Amino acid sequence: MLQTRTRDAVVYQIGLAIFLTIILLLILIPFWRVIVTAVIPLDIYTHQGVPFFLSPTKWTFEAFKQLLTHSMFPRAALNSVIITVLGAAISLFLTVPLAYGLSTRSMPGRKVIMTFVLIIYLFSPGLIPVYLLITGMKLTNNYLAIILPPAVSVYNTLVMMGFFEGLPEELKESARLDGANELQVLLRIILPLSKPILLTIGLFYAVYFWNEFFTPILYLNDNDLIPLPVLLRNILISASFNEYVEYNAFSSSSLESLKSAGVLITMLPMLMLYPWIQRYFTKGTLVGGVKG
Amino acid sequence: MKKWNFVLIAVLLVMSQVLAACAPAATPTEPAATEPVVVEPTKVPEVEPTKEPVEPTAVPEPTKPPEPIDILLWAQATVTEAGAPPDDWIAYERILEELNINLTYVIIPTGADGEAKLNAVAAANDLPDLFQLVSASGDSRGALKRLVDLGLVAPVDDLMPLMPERVKLHYNDPLAIDLVTFDGKQYGLPEPPPLPRREGFVIRQDWLDKLDLEAPTTPEEILAVAKAFTEQDPDGNGQNDTYGLGGFIVGQGLGNRFDFIMGAYGVPGLWNFNDPGNFGLNVRNPLYPEALAFFKSIVDAKVIDPDWPTLTRDDFRARWKQGLFGIMWEDFAALSNKSNYEPFDTNFPEGEWIPVAAPVGPNFESFYGVYTGRGQIFAISQKAADDGKGEAIARLLEWMATDGYYLLGFGEEGVNFIIDANGNISTEGLDPAQAYTAAERQPFTQMRNQLVFYNSEQEIAARYPTYNTLNGRLMEPMKFLTFFQGQPWVDGRGIQVILPLENAADFDRFYSEGILQFVLGQKELNDTTWAEYLTGLDGVGAADYEASAKQNLIDAGLLK
Repeated sequence: MLQTRTRDAVVYQIGLAIFLTIILLLILIPFWRVIVTAVIPLDIYTHQGVPFFLSPTKWTFEAFKQLLTHSMFPRAALNSVIITVLGAAISLFLTVPLAYGLSTRSMPGRKVIMTFVLIIYLFSPGLIPVYLLITGMKLTNNYLAIILPPAVSVYNTLVMMGFFEGLPEELKESARLDGANELQVLLRIILPLSKPILLTIGLFYAVYFWNEFFTPILYLNDNDLIPLPVLLRNILISASFNEYVEYNAFSSSSLESLKSAGVLITMLPMLMLYPWIQRYFTKGTLVGGVKG
Repeated sequence: MKKWNFVLIAVLLVMSQVLAACAPAATPTEPAATEPVVVEPTKVPEVEPTKEPVEPTAVPEPTKPPEPIDILLWAQATVTEAGAPPDDWIAYERILEELNINLTYVIIPTGADGEAKLNAVAAANDLPDLFQLVSASGDSRGALKRLVDLGLVAPVDDLMPLMPERVKLHYNDPLAIDLVTFDGKQYGLPEPPPLPRREGFVIRQDWLDKLDLEAPTTPEEILAVAKAFTEQDPDGNGQNDTYGLGGFIVGQGLGNRFDFIMGAYGVPGLWNFNDPGNFGLNVRNPLYPEALAFFKSIVDAKVIDPDWPTLTRDDFRARWKQGLFGIMWEDFAALSNKSNYEPFDTNFPEGEWIPVAAPVGPNFESFYGVYTGRGQIFAISQKAADDGKGEAIARLLEWMATDGYYLLGFGEEGVNFIIDANGNISTEGLDPAQAYTAAERQPFTQMRNQLVFYNSEQEIAARYPTYNTLNGRLMEPMKFLTFFQGQPWVDGRGIQVILPLENAADFDRFYSEGILQFVLGQKELNDTTWAEYLTGLDGVGAADYEASAKQNLIDAGLLK
């Protein structure tokens, strides 16, 4: 019997390993192709397309160079950083009080506000009402036009609310007994314990704002304000339509290489950020808090 | 205290919800509902009668308005990645000095993004003063009509006499004017299409020479040459790695890139514009299944790049540069412009593409393709017209066609370009970084393809100069263009007035999938199956489509 169970467990483990390996390959192979396409020299690309494997000795970073040395790249990258950092900060600043308030069961009108929040979650207003609101507030050509409309994500609010609800109520009670008001409870007790959720939700917002593409097109007419995704799109369109203009900016890279390099450049900052934040995902310890 | 804390928190919550909410703060303003401006009639000055004859006084020149007029211009960029001109661009200064206009130039995206942006501002009744119509499907005229129907665009008939030179150079096509005229009023400013009839049928001359073949003149000869290119190692590398034909699908059915074959049977494109007396869908023509059967024979013989139904344009262009096939349909600049030709030249220094005339079919029909002539359309917002900016916009457009032409198209003479003894634009002797072709100069001539160029010979020669290939052969892009434009094309510009069906997506899908199924052998092609296909097409509204298309053309005066 024991032997059967052990054998079954081994078979299960092997099957699981094979399945996960297949999943891993399905994810890695396209990613690897993007990398190879980004570093393939133009002469090899035009002669034989994109091979599955390309020796690192033949790699070239010409496509990256073409994108990174573009005259508008530094400004666009800075714009993206500003929008991302400012957006994440403002979003957290607005989401935390909402989530905390909704997690406080004794708050008057909580059910009404929750219903209101869920209605917004279910029904999208569409493009035009938001556009009318933003232009009415004279926010065109302003970073806030990108940041304010999505500043409070209902999904993120609900996730954060769930986290706050999971914190022991005794912590808040003990703080109130010590004379703290609700704001002080939030700032001095709740937030220090909420580093994991703050970083998680902050990262969600940061990824959202970093990848934001359409709202900058809609609200930012000034070329000095466009973020990186918009610039990369413009570059790729330009390279793709070069038969209509006599000027060719990208003679040393293929369009496919430029696209792949653009994908890698855009995802790299977030890829670097994830491991750094991941170590904060472990649950904060509450030792001493409740006992005190 | 607790109570006030709760109130504070509740207020904060509500405030954050206001930001996340999206109900409009105010209802959108009604478009074009302004009161007519009442102008007090000027009093005729009283003149005392004199006995002596009065010398006629000179008519005083119209005085410029004291304050500059602000004009907001939205247009697409010629080079999307280059960005807009800087704020200290000399053209802004000159426009202000000469025209008393404070111009703000905003670059808008192409395609669906640009269309969404324009639709958003239109919905807010916030259209710019002068703007370019953008449509993801290329139907700028349809986009214009929608705005006209909403009352957001002003008629421009009264402004045309104010820009005579521009009308002569840019708005000189009666059909193009008709297409932007609704209810007897012209609403659009139709810029000349970018080099019409610029694509064509080309073949590898070096492969023909190696196999001792002549360029094909009939569909059967195309098939024979394609077979030879596929089976007889025309590139001499000892490998079986070439095909005869290459292509990809653009548009409905087989798309327009194989129209040179369908044209040999008299059935290029969707509509038979070439037979106005019998207008309808080309698939009704008994020769259409014959043309399809011939194309199927190309596919069955495996002499065409097998990926043709799914290739993208960029993949296709990469493949001919890799020497994968020797017969294709291509844009003259994509083929022969120096920057585009270079990778092919590097791979095959002895390689040479030559243009080929339209093949002649079994009934001696021959059409290269269908010319739809879609150019840029600009419009003036009703808001701008109501603000009295129409005349200023007309002056601006006239300036762009006259005094401002070279500045906006090439830059400053002597700095960014010169005109040589033959009257050609050149950059000889100039600082390369300042030449109009330099990367750094692209933001300064962003308007050239949208508002400035009108396809003059001088322009085209400047944009597509000759050069020498790696083996010293003179490459002349203009020769390809001239050849292509001289071929027999069907004038299909009427397609711009044909309104799509309500179930256009269903029709397009059935039409295209059916044709591909026949060609790829997924469905047998015979009289019975073809009749079934036509019946199915009628089931998705083909007959109604034909009737409404015919009526659209009659209403537009394009069909009797």
